[in-house]
Formats: sequence, C-alpha cells, structure tokens
Amino acid sequence: MVPNHSSAAKAVNYLQTRHRFHWGEAIPWILAILVFYFLPGYRLLATQILVMIIFALSLDLIVGYAGIISLGHTAFFGTGAYITALLATNNIPDPIIGLIAAAFGAAILGFLSGWVLLRTTGLTLLVLTMAVTIMLAELANDFDEITGGFDGINFTNSDIFGLIELDQLWYSSSYIYVLIVLFLSFLFIRTIIYAPFGRMLIGIRENPRRMSAIGTPVHQRQVIVYVVSAAIAGIAGALWVQVQGNVTTEVYAFELSGDVLIMLILGGTGRLYGAFLGATVFKILENVTEQVLGTDQPYWQFAIGLVLILTVLFARRGLFGIFEDLGNKWKERGQ
Amino acid sequence: MSPFLNEISTVLVFGLAYAMLLFIISVGLSITMGLMGFANLAHGSFAMMGGYVTVTLVTQSGVPFAAALLISFVAIALLSIPFERFLYRHLYRRSELDQVLLTIGLVFASIAGVTFIWGPDPQLIQMPNYLKGSVDLGFNTFPKYRIFMIIAGAMIVAGLFYGLERTKIGAQIRAAVDNRTMAESVGINTDRLFTWTFALGSGMAALGGGLGIQILGGIKPVFAFEYLVIFLIVVAVGGMGNIRGTFFAALILGIIDFAGKFYFPEGGAFVIFAVTILVLLIRPQGLLGKN
Amino acid sequence: MSDAVLETKNLNKNFGALAVAQDINFSLNPGARHAIIGPNGAGKTTLVNLLTGVLRPSAGAIFLSGEDITTMSENERVKHGIARTFQINTLFMGLTVIDNLYLAIAERFGGATEMFRPAGHHIKVQEQALHILTTLKLEENSLTVVRELSYGRQRLVELAIALALDPKVLLLDEPAAGVPSTESHIILDAVDNLPEDIAILIIEHDMDVVFRFAKRISVLVRGSIMAEGEPEEIATNPEVQAVYLGEADHV
Repeated sequence: MVPNHSSAAKAVNYLQTRHRFHWGEAIPWILAILVFYFLPGYRLLATQILVMIIFALSLDLIVGYAGIISLGHTAFFGTGAYITALLATNNIPDPIIGLIAAAFGAAILGFLSGWVLLRTTGLTLLVLTMAVTIMLAELANDFDEITGGFDGINFTNSDIFGLIELDQLWYSSSYIYVLIVLFLSFLFIRTIIYAPFGRMLIGIRENPRRMSAIGTPVHQRQVIVYVVSAAIAGIAGALWVQVQGNVTTEVYAFELSGDVLIMLILGGTGRLYGAFLGATVFKILENVTEQVLGTDQPYWQFAIGLVLILTVLFARRGLFGIFEDLGNKWKERGQ
Repeated sequence: MSPFLNEISTVLVFGLAYAMLLFIISVGLSITMGLMGFANLAHGSFAMMGGYVTVTLVTQSGVPFAAALLISFVAIALLSIPFERFLYRHLYRRSELDQVLLTIGLVFASIAGVTFIWGPDPQLIQMPNYLKGSVDLGFNTFPKYRIFMIIAGAMIVAGLFYGLERTKIGAQIRAAVDNRTMAESVGINTDRLFTWTFALGSGMAALGGGLGIQILGGIKPVFAFEYLVIFLIVVAVGGMGNIRGTFFAALILGIIDFAGKFYFPEGGAFVIFAVTILVLLIRPQGLLGKN
Repeated sequence: MSDAVLETKNLNKNFGALAVAQDINFSLNPGARHAIIGPNGAGKTTLVNLLTGVLRPSAGAIFLSGEDITTMSENERVKHGIARTFQINTLFMGLTVIDNLYLAIAERFGGATEMFRPAGHHIKVQEQALHILTTLKLEENSLTVVRELSYGRQRLVELAIALALDPKVLLLDEPAAGVPSTESHIILDAVDNLPEDIAILIIEHDMDVVFRFAKRISVLVRGSIMAEGEPEEIATNPEVQAVYLGEADHV
C-alpha cells in the first residue's frame, strides 16, 4: 500500500525533524546585534527588553506550555533580584555567582510554593499566586532596613571573570552580557520544549485529565516545570538589577506580574518567539507613548488595557499568530 | 473600663465595619463566579466607579450622601448591563486565562479613564452631620460612621439573604448556581438571570465603593487593583457562588486584617494573606464551597 | 481463582447518604470479554472511576494480578497495566493523532521527563505509535489535528491512546457512544479485533454491541450487580427483562 507507506514516512519525518532550527530563528539575534552597532543610543532600552524577554520566556513555560495561570511571577523575579543585590552588598559582587544564586533561590521558592499551590486550579490558583507575591512585597516593605524599601539599595558588581566590567554608562558590555544570558536561557528552554518533557507539558495543557489517565503524575510534573520557570525568572530579576546597580521593592510589584503576562499574550503564548515579539513591542510602545504624550497622564495604561481587550477578542494567538496567518496567505497566493 | 476591653471592642467594631464593606463588594463577584463561572477581575472597577459617582454627586452637586449612594447603585448597575451583554457573554465558554486577561484590560482602561477625569489623588468626601463625630456606647467611644457602616451592612446582608431565600428570583439564582442545566430544563431563562444578577452584583459593588470612601481614606484610581486581591481572596476563601460562605469569609478576613494591622503596624498587612493561604490549602474549594 | 487479572472484593462507594456502588464483586480473567450493562444512573461510570483510581472506594478492595491496588493513584495504576477510554472524548484536541499516541507511549517507556534530547530521537516510541495507528487503520490521519477528525475517527483515537499503554486490563466506557451509524462499524470492528490476551471490560448501553462482543455480562442496577452470566442466560433472565422493559416504558 503505497499511500499508507508514504503517510507513515511523513509522520516519522515530522516527528524526527521538527526540533531542527529554521533559518528564520536567526532573525531576532541578527536584529539584536544590529541594534548594538547601529542604535547605540537605545542600548539601555534594548537591554531592558532583553531582560523582559527572559522573564516572559520563563512565564511562557508555565502559562503557554503547561497551562498554569499565574499572576504572581514577580515573586521569583523579585527574589532573584534581591538575592543578587544582597550578595553584592555582602562582599560577593561577582555577577555570575549572583545569577546562579538567584536561580537557585528562586527555584527553592518555586518548589515550596509550587508544591502547595499547584494542588489547586483555576481561580483559587490565581488568587494564591497573587497572594504569595503580595505577601513577599509586604515583607520586603516591612524589612526595609534590609531591602532598602522604596528607595532601594545601590550596589556595585565586580568584573565578570575578573576581566570585563559591566558598564552602566554606554551599556556596551552590559548589553552583550544580557544578550548572552538570554541566548543561553533560550537554548535551554527550546531544548526542553522539543524534548519529551516539553511534549508532556503540552499534553498537560491540552488535557490534564487524559494525562493522568495515561499514567502521568500531573502534579509532580507541574511542580518540576514551575521550579524551572522560577529559576529562569530569578535569573531575569538578577540581570534587571545587575545592569542598573540598584534594587527597590518595585521588583516585587504586582503590576510587573501583570505586565509580563501582557507581553506574553501580546506576542503569543506557547510559541517561544511570542515572548521576543511581545516584550519588544510592549517596551517600545511604552517608551514611545511616554516620550510623545508624557507621563503625567495615563495614556499608556489606557492603551495597554485596550490592546489587551482587543487581543483577547480578536487575536488570541497574539502578534505572532497574526504574522503566521499573513505568512500563510502570502504562501497561498504564491502557489 | 479596662484598657484590654477597650482595645478588643475597638478592633471588633473597626474590623466589623471593614468586614461589612468587604462583603457588600465581594458578594457580587462571588455570585458572578459561581453562577456564570466567569473570573471577573474588573469587579473592583465597578466598585471604584461607584465611589467616584458618589463623591462627585456629594461634593459637586450637593446631593445628600444617602441619595448619592442610591443613585450610584442604580447608575453602575445599569452601566454594567451592556458589559455583560456585549463583552462578557462571549467569554463564558472561553478559558479562565482569556477571562482574566480581558477583565485585566478593563481594569487598566478604567483606572486610566478615572485618572483622566479626576486625577491620581484620592478624592475625599464630606460626611453629613449625622455621621460625623463619635458615639459613646458607655464602655467605649466609636466613630459614628463605623457604627453606621455596621448597621447599614447588616441591613443589606439581611435584605440579600431574605431576597435569595424567599423570593422567586432568589430561588432561581440559587437553582442556577447549583445546577445550571437542571435550572434551564425547568424553564428558567438563565441568560436573563445572568444579566440581572450581574447588574445587581455590580450595583452592590458600587454601593460598597461609595460606602468605603470614608473608611479607606478617599477613593483613588489604583483602588481597582489594590483591593481587587482582597475581594478575590474573600470569594475564594468563602467558596465561589456561596453567599453565606462569602459573608463568613468577609467577617473573618475583615476582622483579622484589622487586628493584624492594629497589633503589628509593621508587617500586619501580610497576616490576611497567610490566613488565606492556610485556609485554601486545607479547603481548596473555600470554607463553604462545593467540591 | 487467583489467576484473575482484575478482581474486586465488596466494593462500596457512597456520596454522602447516596450509595452509588454496593458490594460489587467480580473478576476478569486474562483475555476476558466482559460487559457491564444497566439502565442510566446505575453507576457504570462510577465503577470505571473506582477501578481506575479516579475515585477512592468507601469500602472494599481491588486487586490487579493479585496485588492490592485499592489505595494506588490513577497514574500508578496505569503503569501497573490498567487503561481506559472515556465515554466523552478526552483527547489532546489541538495535537496531531501521532502526537496523541506519542504522549502515551513516551510515558509508558518512562522517557517523558527527559529534558535534553529531542523527542524526535526516540525511534522506538515512533515505531510503536505507527504500529498502533496501522492496526487501527488510522495511519492516513497520523498528521491530522484531532479536532479536525470526524467524531467516529476521534473515538478511534480514544481507543488508540488506551492501546498505546499496552494494558493488561482495558476498560471501555461506551466506545461507540455518540458515533453516527454510518461510522459505527469502524469502531466496532476495531473493538472486535483487539488483541486477544487483553482482559476487556466494556460498559455499554447498546445491546447489539454487547451481544456481539461479550462472552460474559453483569447487570448493574442502582449500584449493585443484579445478575451475572453468559449472554443467553442474561437475555432470558426475567428480572433483567423487567428492568429493561421497565426502562423502555420511560423512554
């Protein structure tokens, strides 16, 4: 039976090749390098965008892949940020050690909170993720002799590997440093997603009920991905404060949890590059709005509210989904 | 009078007044979630708008406080109807994430909207004379407004329970929360029921927004976000769709929150979150929620 | 006696005051073709949920190949050889057919937690998935997203996922439910041709299906087994006829 054989071959080919890199995946990295050389004046903004991409990617792991809704991801971002800053003010100013410690600290928090929180679902889970984050924010405000409260604390990083200084003036080495960390984080997440573990996460998102019925300990697997996601969010938080040399209790802000979720939705969930697109568009629009219309009126807030409503109603797959649809139409026309 | 009793009665009265406020605002959210299964994070926005309507009527048009509350109840209830009809209804069958995102969008837009009109600073309200000052109950003196709040709250609670237990529409709501398919099969028009219930809940939120201005130190745009978490917590702890549960949760959390802040000015704000996490870990469906 | 693969002893389940399963005793031998029939609300799906571990019994015990699995979780029981299908399709609707099978097989091989090797390198998983798709004549649909399949074909995927778990015991919860008559032969043929060594318990409403397939039948009424026997015995049992005629009156 020739047709059967060919459909089997097609299926095998699909399974065996889908993890391979597509040439289009080089685009964001080429753009990032072009920005560095040709738009040096925007390096600070670009650095912030790169950090937010890492943060949004970490959220995509749980929201987009494993189907866990969280409005409290700043719990891990903030914890990573404070661990790094407090290490630096306590004579451990090495940025790399700071990153690793942030990842571990956030992972431990992710394990403790995930183990108990993930027993619940839906609204209860949502409320609990918010409650944990707000609790941490309250604690950070109450212990302001340690955290510096709203004014924050300043710190200095030592040179990376004792060689490269993280400059806070031209953001040249800082930008490259953050870009490299983003690249490594991205490779890590991409590998996981195309590995059996990632396929399993998608299964949980699609149908947790059936996953349990095929022998998957769903809660345990959700805790694992929650911990991984927390660690990466912790790294993002650490980078955020390292490049500024300053940390305030703002890193625990509930609004930031909302912002990063919006970036992800705007770009598109469960598709890796949605985080890139969403964070970039969000931060650029925010910047443009504030420069053109000023910050004395909440134009930006209004715009983002409207965009969110429209996205949910008309473009649930995000900007990335819109691009995909346009691309498909263009292909059809070509044929 | 012993200072201890003094303190206890202060905590109870202030806590109770706050609890009543929490219940009046949260009950609508609870019913929306239980009845329609809709995660309406914009519920706090309706409360906030109610607060602004009340403030504006009282301070700019000289409308008496009680009348202003009533007008804002009706105005926001009516305003909420098109939202339910044209926006929320499309999302009843969509995922929780979609509902959350859409309503967060509404929160952002509403916060920006009121900031355009009233600015970011808190709007304060002048109380009528009969609610000013304190009242001496023999063993302790309390601000009149808190006592008023407790009495008004108790009346609203009693009215609501009466309405739900004794009227036809109340019976329909309870039936639909319990089992929607069954309710529809006995001829209840759940579509219309949803709209009216939603309007009622939003109106109650607006009423709470107006009543809360005095207690919460004015009404300001961030209200919609700041207190949203508390309302959600009350609903989750009480059990979605369970009005009795929402009432108990509001009582417990309102008093605990006030006591926490009273006895531990530093860090007291986090007591309520700790209690919430504890309760929901033992009973994920809430105190009186069904499984 | 103890050569049964699946056996229950005085299984009871109460929801509050309501007894939905009462003293259920039965056993399945290897290769059994056993049907459970009964009117609506008799507790058939509750029984499946008890056997698979979705529900915990209020009293009684369940044994799989002699091992007490009463307190075992659902996912552990799957690893011990119990698989099920659902009365209402419970599939990974947004994924392709082959991905649906991939998930089940990867979990069975214990590779589902592997993080650093591409899923595409697991050749054995793919071979197994293709083998099952071929057996069920689904290979043409390997790359079709499940949502886009006809309901009958989706029912076939429902069966394929359960088979992919290589079960000792297979519980089929109304496999042909909701399938239009033009498609029902596909699913019934597939059920007929299931591997002989698997013990199968089929929950069914449709008497044609039951008598075509089952070698033994239990009648479940109000949570307890009213009669058990060979198809001819059940068909001629006056009590059973009374229940079904009584039900027919209401329909």
